[in-house]
Amino acid sequence: MIARWRRLKGFTALGLSCLAAVLGLFWLFFILVDVLVHGVRALSPELFLQDPVPAGLPGGGLRNAFVGQLLITSVAALIGVPLGVLGGTFLAEYARGKPLARFISILADIIVSVPSIVVGTFVYALMVKPLGHFSGWAGAVSLAIIMIPVVLRTTEEVLTLVPWTLREAAFALGAPYYRVILQIVYRAGATGILTGILLSIARVAGETAPLLFTSFNNSFFSVNMNEPIASLTVTIFQYAMGPYENWHQQAWGASLVITLFILLLTIVGRMIIRWRYGKR
Amino acid sequence: MLPELKRDPVDLIFSALTGLASLTVVVIVMGLFVVLLLESYPAIERFGVVGFLTSTDWDPVRESFGALTSLYGTAVTTILALLFAIPVALGIAVFVTEVAPGFLRGPIGVAIELLAAIPSIIYGMWGLFTVAPIMAEYIEPFLQSTLGRLPILGVLFEGTPMGIDLLTAGLVLSIMIIPFTASIARDAFNLTPPIVKESAYAVGATKWEVIKDVVLPYSKKAVFGGVVLSLGRALGETMAVAFVLGNNHQITTSLFDAAATITVTLANEFTEADSDIYLASLFYLALILFAFSFVLLAVAKFLLLKPQEKGVNR
Repeated sequence: MIARWRRLKGFTALGLSCLAAVLGLFWLFFILVDVLVHGVRALSPELFLQDPVPAGLPGGGLRNAFVGQLLITSVAALIGVPLGVLGGTFLAEYARGKPLARFISILADIIVSVPSIVVGTFVYALMVKPLGHFSGWAGAVSLAIIMIPVVLRTTEEVLTLVPWTLREAAFALGAPYYRVILQIVYRAGATGILTGILLSIARVAGETAPLLFTSFNNSFFSVNMNEPIASLTVTIFQYAMGPYENWHQQAWGASLVITLFILLLTIVGRMIIRWRYGKR
Repeated sequence: MLPELKRDPVDLIFSALTGLASLTVVVIVMGLFVVLLLESYPAIERFGVVGFLTSTDWDPVRESFGALTSLYGTAVTTILALLFAIPVALGIAVFVTEVAPGFLRGPIGVAIELLAAIPSIIYGMWGLFTVAPIMAEYIEPFLQSTLGRLPILGVLFEGTPMGIDLLTAGLVLSIMIIPFTASIARDAFNLTPPIVKESAYAVGATKWEVIKDVVLPYSKKAVFGGVVLSLGRALGETMAVAFVLGNNHQITTSLFDAAATITVTLANEFTEADSDIYLASLFYLALILFAFSFVLLAVAKFLLLKPQEKGVNR
């Protein structure tokens, strides 16, 4: 009797956990299918090749936002990647095992999750308010700030995995530490670092909040980083909240493109990790 | 551990360079605190700390500001999100670690991580155009006609269901944080030594009893850390909430009312702030949010320290 009761209880609990997993998968498919169905309808050459038309008129596209997004993200990567990789190198090599390295790496872990909108207000105070205008640079800097701790931590972890004996072999040949790092350690950790960079780009490519008050938005085509510049995400927000049906359409189109881009980066990143570092 | 080499000058330069790069993290954290503090100083001076935290005013015309409405919205959406997310996330973790056959574990783990990779603005779009209408049309009227009839619980479900409200925001938010909680719980469950579980099986425990009495107690600290981390995430989430919460500074008992969180207030009003004290008050909100989530994330990080990390870490 008691045994049966225990079996029943176990059965129910495990059944509920299956249900939870199904629910998790359900949300994923719900969102993906929803974005796909709405987004595919909005995809057209015009979406990529034309600039927005005045509000309320039919037609137009989001060329300005695609270019702007690409520009902001690339500049952010140009700032964030070197700082992150070098910083991670310091933690894993020169400061390895020292309290300072521990401290910085914990701090980095914390700010990885700090609300991104706070970063936006920070950069606003630093770069927008003093200059008196929004700018693409400010947007890129806020994305870079979000990127640095991500790249730094992955670099640190990847380099820690490189066997110490490898370095000793190089030291034994008389190589100074910087050469060992540049020619041995980086080479051994290259795929891992690259994956970290890919994932960090995936992370910032979908960020909206920090761009709202830094790069702001621009309904005209612009590649001038000194001016407000359009980004896909801010445009999605503006268009989705706006009253026009074709704005909503274009917002869905942009959502689809950005989702596919990010999922692609994430999947490629995970595949590289699995291929390089085995099943984990 | 470093060999006693004669330091090469280039090596000195390179180490200084990497050291400076790693310091950017420290500079960012310090900078955030200092800059936000300086920018919000006029508001701190004018409204005080307790006064600001307890005032329900948010009136740009009279230039009187308080954080309570935003704090309330943040608290309610976060609590709802955790309530919805934690059971599901733990269920997923149990499923992936203990129940699922081997060939399913990988794919489901990946699927959950993809859920985490989807940017929050997509959750916002989906919430606004798909979830909100469903909530307004079916779920909220249903809740109103069932739970809404109950004597005390009823106040939670008053008003006209519009779909743009606290409940929808909490739901969307919960789906966003499920992956974080689930993957941390999964990693924590996986740390339970197999030998301990096997001993429990050997004395005749069922699978559920092993999970409940061995795995969960063994990993409760890390699971709690995961919950705190998700809490930190939920607090600071902006776009997913901005789409489906409206931006209405009010304290309401009904979950079917629009409200405002700190993040939504910032997202909607920051570029429109037309007076210095208005802007300073917004910075003040950002400072509160930053300080709060920083502390929470630090606590989570402490709870999640792996046992081996606590000792000397080579």
